[in-house]
Amino acid sequence: MSLNLLLQNIANGFSLGSLYALIAIGYTMVYGILRLINFAHGEIFMLAPYFLYFGFLMFHLPWWLSVLVAIILTALTGMLTERVAYRPLRDAPRISALISAIGVSFFLQNLAIVLFSGVPKSVHRPEFFRTLFQFGEIRIQSTLIASVIISALFLSILLYIIYKTKTGLAMRAISTDIETSRLMAIDVNKTISITFIIGSALAAIGGILWALRFPQIVPTMGLIPGLKAFIAAVVGGIGNISGAMLGGFILGMAEILFVAFFPELSGYRDAFIFLILILILLFKPDGILGKNVQEKV
Amino acid sequence: MELLNMDNVTMKFGGLTAVNNFRIKINTGELIGLIGPNGAGKTTVFNMITGIYKPTVNKIYFQGQDITEVKPDKIAKVGIARTFQNMRLMNNLKVIDNVMIGFHLHLKSNLLSAILKLPGYTKEEEEIYNNSMELLKKVDLEKYENEKAGGLPYGQQRKLEIIRALATKPKLLLLDEPAAGMNPQETRELMDFIQQIQDEFELTVFLIEHDMKVVMGICKRILVMDYGVIIAEGKPKEIQDNPEVIKAYLGVDSDYA
Amino acid sequence: MKKQHEKYLTIISIIILGIVVYLAQNYLDAYKLRILNLGAIYVTLGVSLNLIYGFTGQFSLGHAGFMAIGAYTTALLVLPPYYKEIIFIIEPLVWPFTVLHTPFIFALLCSGFFAAIAALLIGLPVLRLKGDYLGIATLGFAEIIRIIANNIPQITNGALGIKGIPEFTNLWWSVGVALFTIYIIKGLIQSSYGRALMAIRDNEIAAEVIGVNLTYHKVMSFTIGAFFAGVAGGLFACLLTTIDPKAFMFVMTFNILIVVVLGGFGSITGTVIAAFLFNFFLEYLRPVEDGLDLGIFSIPKIPGLRMVTFSALLLIIILYKQKGLLGGVEFSWQGLFQFFNRFFNKKSSEGSAK
Repeated sequence: MSLNLLLQNIANGFSLGSLYALIAIGYTMVYGILRLINFAHGEIFMLAPYFLYFGFLMFHLPWWLSVLVAIILTALTGMLTERVAYRPLRDAPRISALISAIGVSFFLQNLAIVLFSGVPKSVHRPEFFRTLFQFGEIRIQSTLIASVIISALFLSILLYIIYKTKTGLAMRAISTDIETSRLMAIDVNKTISITFIIGSALAAIGGILWALRFPQIVPTMGLIPGLKAFIAAVVGGIGNISGAMLGGFILGMAEILFVAFFPELSGYRDAFIFLILILILLFKPDGILGKNVQEKV
Repeated sequence: MELLNMDNVTMKFGGLTAVNNFRIKINTGELIGLIGPNGAGKTTVFNMITGIYKPTVNKIYFQGQDITEVKPDKIAKVGIARTFQNMRLMNNLKVIDNVMIGFHLHLKSNLLSAILKLPGYTKEEEEIYNNSMELLKKVDLEKYENEKAGGLPYGQQRKLEIIRALATKPKLLLLDEPAAGMNPQETRELMDFIQQIQDEFELTVFLIEHDMKVVMGICKRILVMDYGVIIAEGKPKEIQDNPEVIKAYLGVDSDYA
Repeated sequence: MKKQHEKYLTIISIIILGIVVYLAQNYLDAYKLRILNLGAIYVTLGVSLNLIYGFTGQFSLGHAGFMAIGAYTTALLVLPPYYKEIIFIIEPLVWPFTVLHTPFIFALLCSGFFAAIAALLIGLPVLRLKGDYLGIATLGFAEIIRIIANNIPQITNGALGIKGIPEFTNLWWSVGVALFTIYIIKGLIQSSYGRALMAIRDNEIAAEVIGVNLTYHKVMSFTIGAFFAGVAGGLFACLLTTIDPKAFMFVMTFNILIVVVLGGFGSITGTVIAAFLFNFFLEYLRPVEDGLDLGIFSIPKIPGLRMVTFSALLLIIILYKQKGLLGGVEFSWQGLFQFFNRFFNKKSSEGSAK
């Protein structure tokens, strides 16, 4: 493979990786706090481009405003799912919450099919996002650069929140011990809601960036990327935010390079990712950056 | 005859040494006590014997065999049974089932004959049921036969856990704070019960306890642990007067000070 | 109640069931028969998943994968060679499938067998995992199976799938398999091994210390569950007459999960009822999706409404009735007897209290 092609692939891998990273953060934050795999997170990711579509095309809002509205609506939806489907099950066995999450995922997906129909819709791409930057022989879409910069930006903001604010401290406390956190007068419900809002907002940004790259949106678009983002979170260390970012980039890169080096196996690209998941779970279940927590006997 | 031999075992979790150079030889028929403040590493010792943890250094022998790396289910087969400090019953199963499960490891019938209810299996199943009822009768729990184990009062649950351990037909019984949460009356009954089953089932008992009355009353030999090491060993009277022990145990009942 | 009497009651009910099946098979239209067949197949699927999850506590989301293995195995064995030559247009079918042509029962057994082998291979490493991790690992496995099916046209005809499978599945087969599944799994559950499985579910660490070999029992339960899922897959193939990788996406496992949740974990009776209820309502709601024309106004065609309803239903049940519709109660002749006793005694005492 020529150097240019390799660099092109690496750039693509970075770009895809940054999208996975944005989504993965939501999974890892929720898992860290609630020990719940939020299956519905992929659907949250899917809803953002739809909100954008309707905001822009139906209500004729200026594009940037549509984006903002879409992010806010998506974040609210995320918060709502927690309120309705997870909070009542907080003291129930974890499997119940997991099944509830799967239920919400299918509910949202099928609701989207009912409301928006399964026919692909085209999201409007402003001029800026259609430009191509040329570096020698390599063509890089502006969306690529945008996604890397934006995810880096938001990760920094997020890390600041987690480690330098009281809310972040509350989040870390709850992820260590929810019962004691309640006793320490931490408003657990509020903190969990904030966690869902932040995670969903990031997924929304990821969803919009994704739609800018692949402008045809369908209600089922959240399923596979959602699953892969979750796998990214596991690879990096579930519960660990830096891990989610790292995992996202690793997975995005792995996926692109797999197809680049083995084009005849491209049909197996998703299977490759699932294989990585199974191997990580078997050999390093705490992920690259995760920590080992043993059950007391 | 030597039954259990822990040969200077050490247990490290990463940088933390939970148990350091623990050694003990228990002979058949003995009733040994292990006491010490919370966090001294007593349960860790039990966990090492039963295969839940693998000692970082050195070995454990049972009836001359090296059981250091043997997994918990094989440990039970070899003849060591235990109860848990924080109690681990199968709460959703009936009381009788909790006991019957103890007999499973000695089951001779294979899977197929069990599924098809062949005569060889049904006979074994009946035996298991009868033996389990016998055990329940010993602790006056037979009337709770079909109750869910989780619904039993605390004291009864503790007794059930001991019965379950007995069902595995052990030679060595490890009891981890069996009297926890019991009032003096119940504790006395428990003491009698332990000595009774020791005679009846020809058991050797290794007992972790906080309650001094229990330990001093029935144990012939006592080990004292603190911060992962043995700080004293000997007969109850010797232990009582040992200044190291008194120092470690600030909360010791003044009767024994 | 006397064991002997219970045996008689069971035999009588099976005979009655046989008569019902005979009447249904010969007098109902194809539409209704299809729903009943699906119901029975879902009983097998639900009970086998219940074994793995409801009774042994292993959260496996890979059932669709085992079904897929079973479905393709049966399809390939049951189709005549000349026909296979025709439909494999992407790439020619490989030997030995080109020459194999076996009776239905043998194909079903092979389906179960191969699904069980897969379960053994994947189960040994993966069943060490707990809870959610096991769930996604098995989900990953099922997806891998599906993706492989999509990418090996020389065995599966790839994305085109296999069409024209002979319609061997009738009520006798589906109900028969369901009964057999219940018989075996109930037999397992009501034995010492079953107690061991439930002990693992309730408290794995204690179970191990009590002498239960975790690996053996978990893998055994997983493999047996997979076997029946594979057989069900074979029945499925010969009912729908066409299969392709898309039929075995996660939605399929989710459907089976709905049935198990509805019926209640650890309740075989519940699963049986839920399996039929699920399929009835799935069909019942179809007109809603196709749109209703009431003359004055019409409700437009809304595809996907069924799944929305079912997801909502699942959520409601999980949120409010976690033990399923039956609350974990299991059917027994004894229980039925007592139920009627109480019912009639209550009535007569109310009467005499006047």
